[in-house]
Amino acid sequence: MKDRRLLASFVVLLALACVPAVLRDTFLLRVATEAIMWVGLAVAFDVLAGYTGYLNFGHGAFFGIGAYTTAILMVRAGWPFVPAAAAGGVVAAVAAVIAGLPTLRLRGAYFAIATWALSRGIQQLALMMPATGGPDGMRLPPFLHPQFFYYAMLGVVGATFLLLWFLLERAPFGLKLKAIREDEQGAKALGLNPTLLKIQAFVLSAVPTGVIGGVFAYWVTFIDPASTLGDLVSDQALVMVVFGGMGTLIGPVVGAILIFAFKTIFWAYLAEYEVLYVIILGAAIALSVVFLPNGVLGARLRRGAPRPLPVPVTPAAAGAGKLEA
Amino acid sequence: MELLPQALMDGVMLGAIYIIIAVAFSLVYGVMHVIDFAVGEWIMFGAFAGFYLNRATGMDPFLLLPAVFVVFAVLGYLLQPVIQRVLSGKKGNPLLMGLVFTFGLSLMFRGLAQTFFGFYSLSIPSRFSTGSFFFEKGSFFLTVSHVRLAGLVYAIAITVGLQYLLKHTDFGLGVRALAQHKDAAGLMGVNNRRTSAFVYAIYVGVSAMTGVLIGTILAVSAKMAPEYTIFTFFVVVLAGMGYLAGVPAAAFLLGIIQSLFLIYLDPGYTLLAVFGVLYLILLVSPTGLFRKGV
Repeated sequence: MKDRRLLASFVVLLALACVPAVLRDTFLLRVATEAIMWVGLAVAFDVLAGYTGYLNFGHGAFFGIGAYTTAILMVRAGWPFVPAAAAGGVVAAVAAVIAGLPTLRLRGAYFAIATWALSRGIQQLALMMPATGGPDGMRLPPFLHPQFFYYAMLGVVGATFLLLWFLLERAPFGLKLKAIREDEQGAKALGLNPTLLKIQAFVLSAVPTGVIGGVFAYWVTFIDPASTLGDLVSDQALVMVVFGGMGTLIGPVVGAILIFAFKTIFWAYLAEYEVLYVIILGAAIALSVVFLPNGVLGARLRRGAPRPLPVPVTPAAAGAGKLEA
Repeated sequence: MELLPQALMDGVMLGAIYIIIAVAFSLVYGVMHVIDFAVGEWIMFGAFAGFYLNRATGMDPFLLLPAVFVVFAVLGYLLQPVIQRVLSGKKGNPLLMGLVFTFGLSLMFRGLAQTFFGFYSLSIPSRFSTGSFFFEKGSFFLTVSHVRLAGLVYAIAITVGLQYLLKHTDFGLGVRALAQHKDAAGLMGVNNRRTSAFVYAIYVGVSAMTGVLIGTILAVSAKMAPEYTIFTFFVVVLAGMGYLAGVPAAAFLLGIIQSLFLIYLDPGYTLLAVFGVLYLILLVSPTGLFRKGV
């Protein structure tokens, strides 16, 4: 059963690899590339949100860190693309360790707050620093080769997906993360080191996000704080994962494709109503939490397939338990 | 150096405003175990309500405070059952979902505000806006505008009021019991749903009311919300989540950092400085300044 799935994912990857041969239209190829990008961002987001039970409201910060690292190394230091994008992943990992160290020792609420604040801080930093070009953004050397970027994105996202599939669904690592999600104290009692595991999960989520950011920067050739560090990246990744279904690998993929399809259609016809898009995004998040707590996929796979267990709400689990005045 | 007393005084007056929001926010966290990402949006909506009410009626914003409180408390009371439903869901991870839900709300509110309120920065005129007291001693001097002083008085009144509510009423006892142990409180006859709804109503009302004050003293704009969300988080985390006694110190610290940056350094770096302080304190003492958080 499981190996059939692996086979299926290889078939899908192979089919996706043939797409540029069939799809001659550059615009459609561009759309396909971006769809794959969002799949990668959503899956990476789910490592923390779905598997570990920690919400990263600053996912976009790691995307932006990757994009800016790549851009700065290519433009100001003259690095070639591949090592620059890899460096984007490394810097994202370092940022994850720095941000995770104080916050992942605590319950989830702190982490959600800290990552959200971090993304704001990074935005501010990018606006101020001379190396990033401030609000004017940065221009990268143009490389107009849509097929190259399609394969680069597919390679990064495909490798990420397979790596995450192996680590989270096959290796004990995934079980350890789930143990933390279900009961952190219990996981500790079993001899696991929750802080270390959470930081590992955070890095595992940040690295592909950073690399994808790097590919994105070189692909679109122009980045500024609004496009790469704005809230839209985090918000969209969040809605994709929540809508698709947390805690599985396939849920975010489905969510990413559905939401991205909606986004593409919306921007094609209603591009001037950017704010309306934000309203719809927010409403979609709130409504799917109320009506589809397990996402569209969770709602469909109610029987049979493994899905996240309910977590009992106890004051200890909630991390509160007192209100001293 | 001559400006130091001014910086400290401004910081204290700003900090007093943060105290109210942070206390109400902590109450919600204590009782419902949810972090409300929409706190800045409630402040913003309150500020705009004050702005439009003032324009329509010409009444002083300080007189409008009770009306704004009532309207927003009712809104909060009506919204709370939806959050409660998310939090008490059997599927998925309800606490996580609570966070996601308020985050979605904040996004939606921000979008709505930008649609309806535009992008301009406004301020609410008050009859206190113009006057100020002036003190001078040697080379030190201090200007205290009437409106900031009124804000300080308001902040103290609300804080004392909340403290009284929490410590000296049956309702407050119920709130504290719920924060301590939900099931046991239920067995002692505390109505969880109703108490939570009232706490949330008070929180939304107080946040909106404080928004009017911020609109009078500082400014109102559709872009103001995230900044105040961050300030609230800063104060609450620094104080130690759920530790109300730590709130004033954290709030004054934030106010003073802000005013020092405004007077001595580049105000553009204020947010970064706030993050820096928050990061260092979390690194050294993850449960807040007093190690009393959870």
